[in-house]
Amino acid sequence: MPRIERTAAITWEGNVARGTGSISAGTGAFTELPFSLPVRVGAGNEGKTSPEELLAAAHAGCLAMGLASELTKRGTPPGRLDVRCVVRMDEVEGKGHQIVHSTCEVTARVGALDAAGFEDAVRVADEECPFSALIRASAEVTVNARLEESDG
Amino acid sequence: MADRTARVSWEGSLLEGSGTIEQVGSGAFGPLPVSWAARSEAASGGKTSPEELIAAAHAACFSMALSSGLAQAGTPPERLETSATVTFVPGTGITKIALTVDGRVPGLDDEGFRQAAETAKENCPVSKALAGVGEITLDVSTS
Repeated sequence: MPRIERTAAITWEGNVARGTGSISAGTGAFTELPFSLPVRVGAGNEGKTSPEELLAAAHAGCLAMGLASELTKRGTPPGRLDVRCVVRMDEVEGKGHQIVHSTCEVTARVGALDAAGFEDAVRVADEECPFSALIRASAEVTVNARLEESDG
Repeated sequence: MADRTARVSWEGSLLEGSGTIEQVGSGAFGPLPVSWAARSEAASGGKTSPEELIAAAHAACFSMALSSGLAQAGTPPERLETSATVTFVPGTGITKIALTVDGRVPGLDDEGFRQAAETAKENCPVSKALAGVGEITLDVSTS
Protein backbone atom coordinates (compact mmCIF):
# COMPACT_ATOMS: atom_id res chain seq x y z
CA MET A 1 0.00 0.00 0.00
CA PRO A 2 1.30 3.48 -0.78
CA ARG A 3 1.97 5.87 2.07
CA ILE A 4 0.67 9.27 1.08
CA GLU A 5 2.02 12.31 2.88
CA ARG A 6 0.33 15.70 2.98
CA THR A 7 1.90 18.68 4.72
CA ALA A 8 0.77 22.09 5.83
CA ALA A 9 2.96 24.88 7.20
CA ILE A 10 2.18 27.62 9.71
CA THR A 11 3.83 30.86 10.64
CA TRP A 12 2.78 32.35 13.96
CA GLU A 13 3.85 35.68 15.37
CA GLY A 14 3.21 37.00 18.85
CA ASN A 15 1.38 35.67 21.87
CA VAL A 16 -1.88 33.81 21.64
CA ALA A 17 -4.30 36.61 22.54
CA ARG A 18 -2.86 39.17 20.17
CA GLY A 19 -0.81 37.10 17.77
CA THR A 20 -1.80 35.95 14.30
CA GLY A 21 -0.87 33.03 12.15
CA SER A 22 -1.07 31.98 8.54
CA ILE A 23 -1.55 28.53 7.03
CA SER A 24 -0.26 27.24 3.70
CA ALA A 25 -0.91 23.88 2.05
CA GLY A 26 1.91 21.73 0.73
CA THR A 27 -0.01 21.16 -2.49
CA GLY A 28 -0.43 24.89 -3.00
CA ALA A 29 -4.21 24.51 -3.00
CA PHE A 30 -4.41 27.29 -0.43
CA THR A 31 -1.75 29.71 0.81
CA GLU A 32 -1.30 32.08 3.72
CA LEU A 33 -4.80 31.78 5.18
CA PRO A 34 -4.92 33.97 8.29
CA PHE A 35 -6.12 32.69 11.68
CA SER A 36 -6.16 34.03 15.23
CA LEU A 37 -7.44 33.07 18.66
CA PRO A 38 -10.26 35.65 18.95
CA VAL A 39 -11.67 34.36 15.67
CA ARG A 40 -11.24 30.73 16.70
CA VAL A 41 -13.25 30.97 19.89
CA GLY A 42 -15.57 33.84 19.01
CA ALA A 43 -18.88 33.95 17.21
CA GLY A 44 -17.66 36.09 14.31
CA ASN A 45 -15.02 34.94 11.85
CA GLU A 46 -13.79 38.12 10.09
CA GLY A 47 -13.19 35.95 7.03
CA LYS A 48 -10.51 33.97 8.87
CA THR A 49 -10.37 30.20 9.00
CA SER A 50 -9.69 28.10 12.12
CA PRO A 51 -8.55 24.57 12.94
CA GLU A 52 -12.17 23.52 13.43
CA GLU A 53 -13.23 24.90 10.04
CA LEU A 54 -10.39 22.98 8.40
CA LEU A 55 -11.53 19.82 10.21
CA ALA A 56 -15.11 20.43 9.03
CA ALA A 57 -13.82 20.59 5.45
CA ALA A 58 -11.72 17.45 5.98
CA HIS A 59 -14.64 15.55 7.47
CA ALA A 60 -17.09 16.55 4.72
CA GLY A 61 -14.54 15.58 2.06
CA CYS A 62 -13.79 12.27 3.74
CA LEU A 63 -17.46 11.36 4.10
CA ALA A 64 -18.28 12.38 0.52
CA MET A 65 -15.54 10.12 -0.84
CA GLY A 66 -16.45 7.27 1.51
CA LEU A 67 -20.10 7.42 0.48
CA ALA A 68 -19.22 7.66 -3.23
CA SER A 69 -17.13 4.52 -2.76
CA GLU A 70 -19.81 2.63 -0.84
CA LEU A 71 -22.59 3.54 -3.28
CA THR A 72 -20.41 2.50 -6.22
CA LYS A 73 -19.71 -0.88 -4.58
CA ARG A 74 -23.47 -1.43 -4.38
CA GLY A 75 -23.82 -0.77 -8.09
CA THR A 76 -25.46 2.63 -7.61
CA PRO A 77 -22.81 5.35 -8.00
CA PRO A 78 -24.16 8.72 -6.93
CA GLY A 79 -25.28 11.41 -9.34
CA ARG A 80 -24.46 14.06 -6.78
CA LEU A 81 -23.69 14.20 -3.07
CA ASP A 82 -23.74 17.31 -0.90
CA VAL A 83 -22.15 17.01 2.53
CA ARG A 84 -22.14 19.77 5.11
CA CYS A 85 -20.28 19.28 8.39
CA VAL A 86 -20.33 21.52 11.45
CA VAL A 87 -17.49 21.04 13.93
CA ARG A 88 -18.04 22.37 17.42
CA MET A 89 -15.35 23.26 19.95
CA ASP A 90 -16.47 23.87 23.50
CA GLU A 91 -15.00 24.23 26.94
CA VAL A 92 -15.50 20.98 28.84
CA GLU A 93 -15.32 21.11 32.62
CA GLY A 94 -11.96 19.88 33.83
CA LYS A 95 -10.69 19.24 30.31
CA GLY A 96 -10.38 22.67 28.74
CA HIS A 97 -11.29 23.24 25.12
CA GLN A 98 -12.28 20.13 23.23
CA ILE A 99 -13.75 19.28 19.89
CA VAL A 100 -17.05 17.90 21.06
CA HIS A 101 -19.19 17.36 17.94
CA SER A 102 -19.04 16.95 14.22
CA THR A 103 -22.55 17.04 12.81
CA CYS A 104 -22.91 16.23 9.13
CA GLU A 105 -25.86 16.53 6.76
CA VAL A 106 -25.72 14.47 3.58
CA THR A 107 -28.04 15.05 0.63
CA ALA A 108 -27.76 12.61 -2.26
CA ARG A 109 -29.15 12.05 -5.70
CA VAL A 110 -28.76 8.36 -6.44
CA GLY A 111 -30.71 6.56 -9.13
CA ALA A 112 -32.34 3.19 -8.32
CA LEU A 113 -31.63 3.02 -4.60
CA ASP A 114 -34.20 2.75 -1.84
CA ALA A 115 -34.07 4.62 1.44
CA ALA A 116 -32.99 1.59 3.47
CA GLY A 117 -30.13 0.80 1.11
CA PHE A 118 -29.04 4.41 1.17
CA GLU A 119 -29.11 4.60 4.96
CA ASP A 120 -27.02 1.48 5.17
CA ALA A 121 -24.49 2.90 2.70
CA VAL A 122 -24.25 6.09 4.78
CA ARG A 123 -23.69 4.06 7.95
CA VAL A 124 -20.88 2.07 6.34
CA ALA A 125 -19.30 5.22 4.85
CA ASP A 126 -19.27 6.85 8.29
CA GLU A 127 -17.78 3.76 9.91
CA GLU A 128 -15.10 3.52 7.25
CA CYS A 129 -14.23 7.22 6.96
CA PRO A 130 -10.84 7.33 8.73
CA PHE A 131 -11.55 10.78 10.05
CA SER A 132 -14.93 9.89 11.58
CA ALA A 133 -13.24 7.01 13.37
CA LEU A 134 -10.42 9.18 14.70
CA ILE A 135 -12.31 12.14 16.05
CA ARG A 136 -14.61 9.90 18.03
CA ALA A 137 -11.68 9.98 20.51
CA SER A 138 -13.09 13.28 21.80
CA ALA A 139 -16.15 14.10 19.71
CA GLU A 140 -19.58 12.78 18.98
CA VAL A 141 -20.12 12.23 15.26
CA THR A 142 -23.64 12.51 13.85
CA VAL A 143 -24.46 11.90 10.19
CA ASN A 144 -27.97 12.72 8.98
CA ALA A 145 -28.72 11.77 5.39
CA ARG A 146 -31.56 12.10 2.96
CA LEU A 147 -32.19 11.00 -0.62
CA GLU A 148 -33.35 13.55 -3.15
CA GLU A 149 -35.50 12.65 -6.12
CA SER A 150 -33.19 11.89 -9.02
CA ASP A 151 -33.78 14.17 -11.96
CA GLY A 152 -32.01 11.93 -14.42
CA MET B 1 -18.59 27.46 22.09
CA ALA B 2 -17.68 27.81 18.44
CA ASP B 3 -19.27 26.08 15.43
CA ARG B 4 -17.39 25.95 12.13
CA THR B 5 -18.96 24.77 8.89
CA ALA B 6 -17.83 23.44 5.53
CA ARG B 7 -19.76 22.17 2.53
CA VAL B 8 -18.52 19.62 -0.01
CA SER B 9 -20.14 18.30 -3.19
CA TRP B 10 -19.27 15.12 -5.07
CA GLU B 11 -20.38 13.78 -8.43
CA GLY B 12 -19.99 10.21 -9.66
CA SER B 13 -18.12 7.16 -8.40
CA LEU B 14 -15.10 7.36 -6.12
CA LEU B 15 -12.53 6.52 -8.77
CA GLU B 16 -13.96 8.36 -11.75
CA GLY B 17 -15.91 11.10 -10.00
CA SER B 18 -14.68 14.31 -8.44
CA GLY B 19 -15.67 16.73 -5.74
CA THR B 20 -15.38 20.31 -4.59
CA ILE B 21 -14.94 21.86 -1.17
CA GLU B 22 -17.55 24.40 -2.14
CA GLN B 23 -17.54 26.74 0.76
CA VAL B 24 -16.47 27.21 4.34
CA GLY B 25 -18.37 29.35 6.80
CA SER B 26 -15.71 32.04 7.03
CA GLY B 27 -15.26 32.25 3.26
CA ALA B 28 -11.49 31.99 3.85
CA PHE B 29 -11.03 29.37 1.13
CA GLY B 30 -12.91 27.54 -1.57
CA PRO B 31 -14.08 26.37 -3.91
CA LEU B 32 -11.24 23.81 -3.93
CA PRO B 33 -11.33 20.70 -6.15
CA VAL B 34 -10.73 17.24 -4.64
CA SER B 35 -10.46 13.76 -6.15
CA TRP B 36 -9.57 10.28 -5.02
CA ALA B 37 -6.55 10.14 -7.32
CA ALA B 38 -5.16 13.38 -5.89
CA ARG B 39 -5.80 12.09 -2.37
CA SER B 40 -4.37 8.60 -2.76
CA GLU B 41 -1.37 9.09 -5.04
CA ALA B 42 1.96 10.70 -4.22
CA ALA B 43 1.43 13.44 -6.81
CA SER B 44 -1.40 15.71 -5.71
CA GLY B 45 -1.76 17.69 -8.92
CA GLY B 46 -2.07 20.76 -6.72
CA LYS B 47 -5.32 19.51 -5.17
CA THR B 48 -5.96 19.50 -1.46
CA SER B 49 -7.32 16.46 0.42
CA PRO B 50 -8.87 15.65 3.79
CA GLU B 51 -5.41 14.70 5.07
CA GLU B 52 -3.89 18.02 4.01
CA LEU B 53 -6.75 19.86 5.74
CA ILE B 54 -6.15 17.80 8.88
CA ALA B 55 -2.44 18.70 8.68
CA ALA B 56 -3.39 22.37 8.43
CA ALA B 57 -5.82 22.10 11.35
CA HIS B 58 -3.33 20.29 13.58
CA ALA B 59 -0.40 22.60 12.82
CA ALA B 60 -2.57 25.67 13.47
CA CYS B 61 -4.01 24.30 16.71
CA PHE B 62 -0.59 23.22 18.00
CA SER B 63 0.89 26.65 17.21
CA MET B 64 -1.85 28.43 19.14
CA ALA B 65 -1.51 26.13 22.15
CA LEU B 66 2.26 26.57 22.18
CA SER B 67 1.98 30.33 21.88
CA SER B 68 -0.50 30.32 24.75
CA GLY B 69 1.69 28.14 26.97
CA LEU B 70 4.76 30.27 26.30
CA ALA B 71 2.87 33.50 27.03
CA GLN B 72 1.50 32.09 30.29
CA ALA B 73 5.05 31.18 31.34
CA GLY B 74 6.12 34.79 30.77
CA THR B 75 8.09 34.06 27.58
CA PRO B 76 5.82 34.79 24.62
CA PRO B 77 7.30 33.77 21.26
CA GLU B 78 8.37 36.28 18.65
CA ARG B 79 7.79 33.74 15.93
CA LEU B 80 6.88 30.05 15.50
CA GLU B 81 7.27 28.11 12.25
CA THR B 82 5.27 24.88 12.41
CA SER B 83 4.52 22.09 9.98
CA ALA B 84 2.39 18.98 10.21
CA THR B 85 2.69 16.04 7.83
CA VAL B 86 -0.16 13.52 7.82
CA THR B 87 0.53 10.03 6.49
CA PHE B 88 -2.45 8.33 4.87
CA VAL B 89 -2.46 4.68 3.88
CA PRO B 90 -5.48 4.02 1.64
CA GLY B 91 -7.52 1.18 3.08
CA THR B 92 -5.92 1.59 6.52
CA GLY B 93 -6.34 5.25 7.40
CA ILE B 94 -4.19 7.93 8.96
CA THR B 95 -1.16 6.20 10.45
CA LYS B 96 1.08 9.07 11.49
CA ILE B 97 1.25 12.82 12.07
CA ALA B 98 4.68 14.43 12.22
CA LEU B 99 4.80 17.89 13.79
CA THR B 100 7.85 20.13 13.51
CA VAL B 101 8.30 23.50 15.14
CA ASP B 102 11.04 26.08 15.04
CA GLY B 103 10.69 28.90 17.56
CA ARG B 104 12.26 32.23 18.36
CA VAL B 105 11.49 32.81 22.02
CA PRO B 106 13.49 35.49 23.89
CA GLY B 107 14.55 34.45 27.38
CA LEU B 108 13.85 30.71 27.01
CA ASP B 109 16.44 27.97 26.56
CA ASP B 110 16.14 25.00 24.20
CA GLU B 111 14.99 22.60 26.92
CA GLY B 112 12.28 24.99 28.12
CA PHE B 113 11.02 25.38 24.57
CA ARG B 114 11.01 21.62 24.02
CA GLN B 115 8.96 21.07 27.17
CA ALA B 116 6.46 23.76 26.18
CA ALA B 117 6.13 22.18 22.73
CA GLU B 118 5.54 18.71 24.23
CA THR B 119 2.80 20.15 26.46
CA ALA B 120 1.13 21.84 23.48
CA LYS B 121 1.26 18.60 21.52
CA GLU B 122 -0.47 16.73 24.36
CA ASN B 123 -3.14 19.32 25.08
CA CYS B 124 -4.25 21.15 21.96
CA PRO B 125 -7.87 20.29 21.08
CA VAL B 126 -6.96 18.82 17.68
CA SER B 127 -4.33 16.55 19.29
CA LYS B 128 -6.98 15.31 21.70
CA ALA B 129 -9.45 14.74 18.88
CA LEU B 130 -6.83 12.81 16.91
CA ALA B 131 -5.55 10.83 19.89
CA GLY B 132 -6.41 7.65 17.98
CA VAL B 133 -3.60 8.20 15.47
CA GLY B 134 -0.98 5.53 16.18
CA GLU B 135 2.04 7.80 16.02
CA ILE B 136 2.26 11.56 16.58
CA THR B 137 5.85 12.79 16.56
CA LEU B 138 7.34 16.17 17.40
CA ASP B 139 10.62 17.63 16.19
CA VAL B 140 11.70 20.84 17.94
CA SER B 141 14.34 23.44 17.14
CA THR B 142 15.06 27.06 18.10
CA SER B 143 16.44 29.93 16.10
